[in-house]
Amino acid sequence: MKRKVLAAGAVFASALLTWSWVDRARTGARLISIQDVPDQGDACYRPDSAAAVPGSSNQNLFVDFDETVHAQDATPTVDITRPPVRDILDTAPIYSSVGVDVEHNEVFLQDSNTWSIRVFSRLDNAKPGAPPTEPRRVISGPKSDVQFNSCVYIDPASGDVYSVENDIGDTIVIFEHDATGDPEPKNKLKVTHRAFAMALDNENQELFLSVQYPPQVAVYRKGASGDEKPKRLLIGDNTRLSDAHGLAIDTKNKLLFVNNWGNISDYRVPGSGRFEAPSITVFPLNADGDTRPLRVIQGPKTQLDWPGAMSVNPDTGELYVANDMGQSIIVFRGTDAGDVAPARAIKGAKTGISYPTGVFVDAKNKEVWVSNLGNSSATVYPAMANGDVAPLRIIRSADENKTSLRFGKTQALVYDPIREQVLVPN
Amino acid sequence: MHGFGFDAIHDEICVTSPLAQAILSFRGGANGEEPPARVIQGPHTQIKGTAYGANDKVSVDPANNEIYLPIDSGAVLVFDRTANGDVAPKRRLSGPDTQIRGVPSVAVDPVHNVLAVNSGGRMLLFDRTANGNTKPKAVIEGPKSGMANISSFQIYAAKGWIIAGGQGGFVGAWSIEDNGDVPPRWKIPVQQLTGYVASGIALDPAHKEIILSAAGQRVRPSRGIMNTVITFSWPEIY
Repeated sequence: MKRKVLAAGAVFASALLTWSWVDRARTGARLISIQDVPDQGDACYRPDSAAAVPGSSNQNLFVDFDETVHAQDATPTVDITRPPVRDILDTAPIYSSVGVDVEHNEVFLQDSNTWSIRVFSRLDNAKPGAPPTEPRRVISGPKSDVQFNSCVYIDPASGDVYSVENDIGDTIVIFEHDATGDPEPKNKLKVTHRAFAMALDNENQELFLSVQYPPQVAVYRKGASGDEKPKRLLIGDNTRLSDAHGLAIDTKNKLLFVNNWGNISDYRVPGSGRFEAPSITVFPLNADGDTRPLRVIQGPKTQLDWPGAMSVNPDTGELYVANDMGQSIIVFRGTDAGDVAPARAIKGAKTGISYPTGVFVDAKNKEVWVSNLGNSSATVYPAMANGDVAPLRIIRSADENKTSLRFGKTQALVYDPIREQVLVPN
Repeated sequence: MHGFGFDAIHDEICVTSPLAQAILSFRGGANGEEPPARVIQGPHTQIKGTAYGANDKVSVDPANNEIYLPIDSGAVLVFDRTANGDVAPKRRLSGPDTQIRGVPSVAVDPVHNVLAVNSGGRMLLFDRTANGNTKPKAVIEGPKSGMANISSFQIYAAKGWIIAGGQGGFVGAWSIEDNGDVPPRWKIPVQQLTGYVASGIALDPAHKEIILSAAGQRVRPSRGIMNTVITFSWPEIY
């Protein structure tokens, strides 16, 4: 009987303290009561003092009420085989990048949620009320080695499909333009951890790759494979690269553009971290080593806000930027420098743009494509579009009112008991 | 980001900016582009990450107002929770005797004053205020224990249960008093049940549940969706 009373008291006190934990956040700590269990006759055990509890150097309320656990005895492990009570997941693709094969009139969308590349007709258009757009082909599976890929790029010369993995895979995989199913890549290149975006210079037969951290641009021989090292490495403090993301090249004007989120440190030096404003650094196309940029686009007028992919319009030299948190596609002149406003911005409710991370300029058809992380779609606009304009066409892989979970990689989480919410970073 | 903390006493989120060697504390209800309430960053902080993982994890102990940051190589820095700016850590647990390797995950039991460090497939248990080159007072490791590495784990301090990842993709409950090759008291065979391997663990004592994050890395779930958050009922540990 005494043991039951103590157990009930412990449960009551535990519940009381749990309630206080939540309530404390709102009103401040309050001690409600302490009930002493009478010690008479067949009294149940309780510790003589809190100091007798191993590992405890302080007397505290928890110790007085809760029984300390003890090291394992011979009791075997109990398997809990109940199924989950809930799960949160997005069943639709989450598009991180877009590439266009203008010769075959196909659009390639990189999906980080189902680890796939989905191929559509350039002219596909899901009208309101229509079901999601069916892909022509899907590249996915263990042999393909497509994982948390951040960039898909189509070689304008051959139509080959390039895709780079941003996390554990650390690989660029290359497929034939008509690859489908779970194919072995025709080529694989091991790259630095945190590779993000690619571009090809077919004139010089070079493959450009941006790397977030340590921030750098690696330039490989086109056709490099396996462990082949880059021909050039743009890296160092003078480059002003800082958490490098999107990359684009202008082969006509021999320029390399890299955008940066501004998180910078030297991992070898303790306490060297700092925050800088987001920027676009502009280099000569053949820049190597610790080279200063020719110019830097940076400042509040630029509207840069987690810039993602970039693409150059070869006809105008303009630079298109997928401005993720800015919910826009912003366009800079190829000669811009300093704190300048974009020349144009595609932004607004009619655009259908939602957390755009991918952009591609189709110069042949004078269109600009956007992949939207926020609503499982890709949208296309006239290349000179400006303002709140509706897209010409929409490729949609979910219902038209879709709001994506935007799960990029659900590696961590915490629980907020105050609001009863789960916080998931991506 | 592979591990961060929620402070339910002070209603704050504690998270790193991994590439900028910074610890950020936000208001618990922060939304949008709200700036952090405090930032720990600078030369005195001793914060140092790796080229590969940077500073990808941080834990918070709301009861003792401390923040725990594992850093390269094999060290854990402890800051005052209210620290702001270029401040030195109040303690630094590091050295060969600690047996800490790489950038581990860390959790604190403020009731029993235990600091648990998950490193190299082992769970190293220290006094919460351990400092310098200190030996762990216990190490849970070995084939029977099934202990593995996980990005973030928890301690249910009211009962002294360490909830962490195990070999073969299970999530198990060990005691803060365990030492050596000790199997967990309970385990949920998460990979077997769901096809996912958990990378992060959160506890919800009020509802007697655990919540897991899983991201499909190295294990392709058969259902084809790589990112998920899964909740199990687990009244036994509460």
